Amino acid sequence: METLLISLNALISPALLAAAFGGVLWGIVGGALPGISPSITMALLLPFTYGMDPTTGVVLLAATYVGAEYGGSIPAILINTPGTNAAAATVLDGYAMNQRGLAGEALGISLVCGVIGGLFGLALLVGLTQPLAKLALLFTPPAYFALGILGISVIATLNEGALVKALMSAVIGLMIATVGSDPFSGVNRFTFGRPELLDGIPYILIMIGVYALSELYIQAGEPGWEKPKKFVTVKLPGWVMWKRIWPATAIGSVIGGFEGITPGAGGTVASFMAYNETRRWSKHPEEFGKGAPEGVAGPEAANNVVACSALIPTLSFGIPGSNSTAILLGGLLLHGLVPGPLLFTQHPEVIYGLFGGLLTANLAMIPLGILIMTPCLWLVTQPKPLLSAGIYALIFTGIFSIHNDAFDIGLALVAAILGYGLKYFKFPFLPLVLGTILGYMLESSFRRALLMSNNDYSTFVTDPIAAGMLGVACLFVAGSIGRSWWVSRRQRAAA
Amino acid sequence: MFVRASKLAIIASAVAGLAVASAAHAQDIKYPVDTVTLVTHSSPGGGTDVYLREMVKFLAPAMGAEFAVENVRGGSGAKAIAKVANSPADGSVFYGSTPSYINMSLLSKPEFGHDSVEPVVRVFLDPQVIYVRKDSPLKSFTDIVASAKANPGTQKWGTGTPASLERQALEEFKTKAGVDVTIVTHDGGGDMMINVLNGSLDLGIGEIQEFRGQLDAGEIRVIGVFTDERLPDFPDAKTAKEEGIDMVVKKFRGIVGPKGLPPEVIQAWEAGVTKALLDPEFQKWYKNASLIPAFMTHEEFTTFMASVVREQEAFFKEYNITSAD
Repeated sequence: METLLISLNALISPALLAAAFGGVLWGIVGGALPGISPSITMALLLPFTYGMDPTTGVVLLAATYVGAEYGGSIPAILINTPGTNAAAATVLDGYAMNQRGLAGEALGISLVCGVIGGLFGLALLVGLTQPLAKLALLFTPPAYFALGILGISVIATLNEGALVKALMSAVIGLMIATVGSDPFSGVNRFTFGRPELLDGIPYILIMIGVYALSELYIQAGEPGWEKPKKFVTVKLPGWVMWKRIWPATAIGSVIGGFEGITPGAGGTVASFMAYNETRRWSKHPEEFGKGAPEGVAGPEAANNVVACSALIPTLSFGIPGSNSTAILLGGLLLHGLVPGPLLFTQHPEVIYGLFGGLLTANLAMIPLGILIMTPCLWLVTQPKPLLSAGIYALIFTGIFSIHNDAFDIGLALVAAILGYGLKYFKFPFLPLVLGTILGYMLESSFRRALLMSNNDYSTFVTDPIAAGMLGVACLFVAGSIGRSWWVSRRQRAAA
Repeated sequence: MFVRASKLAIIASAVAGLAVASAAHAQDIKYPVDTVTLVTHSSPGGGTDVYLREMVKFLAPAMGAEFAVENVRGGSGAKAIAKVANSPADGSVFYGSTPSYINMSLLSKPEFGHDSVEPVVRVFLDPQVIYVRKDSPLKSFTDIVASAKANPGTQKWGTGTPASLERQALEEFKTKAGVDVTIVTHDGGGDMMINVLNGSLDLGIGEIQEFRGQLDAGEIRVIGVFTDERLPDFPDAKTAKEEGIDMVVKKFRGIVGPKGLPPEVIQAWEAGVTKALLDPEFQKWYKNASLIPAFMTHEEFTTFMASVVREQEAFFKEYNITSAD
C-alpha cells in the first residue's frame, strides 16, 4: 500500500512529471535522428543527472529510453533509415507502408503498439524484478557462452539465403572484439602500442560507424533523401486495424519481455525476432515487406517492452540487458544506489518512483508522439547536406564525449569504411555488431567455463541451461540451411 | 594573492557549512593555486570517482582551494597518467590513484607510466575480504585450506582481472597454504559475485562495496580478511594472519602528481588530507564505504609505492603476465 502511494506520488510530483515528459521528448528527438542511438541519447543526459535528486535522474534516463525506442521508428517509416538499431526491423514494412501512402497509419501503429509494449514491459518490471533476481543466478559461465552463441545464431539466420555471409559478418565482429587486453592472461592483443586500444574497441563506435556513418557515406552519393509527404500526421489505429494487429502486438510483447529479461543483446534482437515470429504466425505472410501493418506492430511493441523489461536484470542484479540500461546503471551508481534485492527495501522511493515515472512516460508518449511530429518532420525535410552535416556534428560530439578523445572518431570512421564495404558486397551488419558486442562475453565465458571444468568440454552439455540454448541454436542454423536447400530445390524443379 | 586565497577559503568553508572558527583556521593555509583538478580514470559513478567527489567536499575547506574532478577514461588509466605527467607541477593537477595504474604501466609500457609521476599522499586502504555464499560450509581460512587439501584440484576461487591485486593476493594465498586449487579470473566484482552465488565458485575475493547489496540481504558471508586487524563491521571474520597465513593486501587509494612538486604543495596536501580524515561527516561516509583511513606522508608513500612496484613486477614475472611486445 505504501509502495503504491510512492508510485502515485511519482505521478503527480512536478519534478518527476517534468523528468518523465522531458525524457520522452528528448528521447523521441534523439531516437528520430539516424545514428543517435537510445544509449547515446541517454549518455548525453547522464552528466546532467549528477545534480539531480536520484529518483528524478533515474526517471529522466528511463523516460529517454522509452521515448527513443518510439522515436527510432519515425525515420524508419518516413525516410527508410532506422533512427535506432532496434527500429531496423520497422524499416521493412514501415517504409513500405509509407510508399503505399500509409505513413500516418504506420506512425500511429508504431506509437500505440509502442505504448502497449511499454506498459506490458512495465507490468513485467513491477511483477518480476524481485523474483527474477534469482533467475540471473542460474547463469553459469557455460550458460553465458551458450546465450551468446544462441544470440548470434538467431541473428545470422534472420538473413534468408545469406547464412554464410551473415556468419562471416559475425566472425568479423568477433575478431573486432579480440582487440585489447586478453581477459585471462592480460596480454595486449592487436593494440599496436596504442593505449587507447587497451580496453578494446568500444562497440558503440562500431555501431555508429557501420550503421550511421556508413549510411551517411552512402547517402552522400545519392541524390537526396526522399522527402516525407507534407503534413503527415499520426493516425491512431481504428478498430478494424486494431483487430488485425493485436496478435502481432502480443507476439512482439512476449518476445520483447523475454529478450529484455535475458541479459545480452537487447531491443534489436527482440525487434527482429518479433518481426520473424509475427510473419511466421501471420495469416498473410506474403504481405510482409510490402507494407504489412503487423510488420510494424510486432517489432515496435517488442522494442518498447525491452525499454522497460531490460530494467529487470539491471535493477535486480546490476546486469544491464542492453546498452541503454548500462547507461541507466551508471546513473544509479552515480547516486550510490547499488542494484540488488535490497534496493527495494532500502531505497523504495527510487524504485517505486521509477515505476511511477515510467508509467507517466509511457502514457505521455501518445500526446508527445503526436505533438513532436511537426518538429520532427521539419527536421527531416531540411536540405540533406545541412542535415548530414548536423548529424555528423552530433555523432562526432557524441563519440568525443565518451572518452574526450579524437582517436575514437577515427575508429568510428574506419568502422564506417568497413560498413560501406560490407553494404557494397551485401553482407548484413547486424551479425557483425552482435559479434562485437557479444565477443568479449563469449570468449571470456568460454574460457572461464573451461578453466572451471579443468578443460573438460562436456561442461557445455552437462549444464542444462547451456545445453538447452546450444540445442536451440543448432535448430535455428539447421532450419535455415534446410529452408534454403528446400527453396533452391523448388526453384530448380520450377526451372 | 594571499588575500584572494584566504577569501576563497572563507567562502569555501562557509559553503561547506563549517563554523567560523574553522574558517579562521583556514586563513593560515595558503594553497598556491585557486582550483585543483583531480584526474581519475574512473567513469562518473565509479568507485574512485565517487570517493574523490566525496573527499573534495572536505578537502576544499581544509586546503583553501576549489576542487574539480575530471574523468579521463581510456587505456586502463594510461590517458589519465599522461595528462597528469604533462601538467605543470604547481599543485593544480593530480591523479586520484589506485594500484591499477602501476599494473598498467608495468604491463602496457606506455609513454607515461608510474615513473613519470610522483606519489603525494596515501589516503585509504580498501580491505580485501574473502566471501562465500550463505550455505557454504566454509567459515574461516582454516576451513578453506582444509577443504582444498581434502579435495585437491577441484576447488575454484574467484578473483578479478588477471593483473589485479586481488589475483595476486589469491595466488599468494594459494602458494602460502600449499594447496592445489583453480584460480578463476573475472572481468570485475559483479560477474564474480554471481558465480559465487550460483555455486560455480567456492569463494571470491573482493571489496565490500562491490557486494554490499547481497551482503546486507544475507545471501553471502564474509569469512576472512586480508587486513592487519579485523574489520569493525565484520568482527567474526578473522584476518589471514590470525590463522597462520602471513599476508596483508594493501590496495590503496592515494593522490599522485606531476614530478617536481614544490614542498609547500606537498605539505598542504599532507595537512589537508589529515584534516579531512578527521572530519566527522567524512568519517561517517568512509566508514559506511568500508574504507580504512591509512594516511601516509609523501615520504612514506614514496617508499611504499616503490615496494608495491617491486612486488607487482615480481608477481607478473612469476605468473608470466607480460605485455605482447
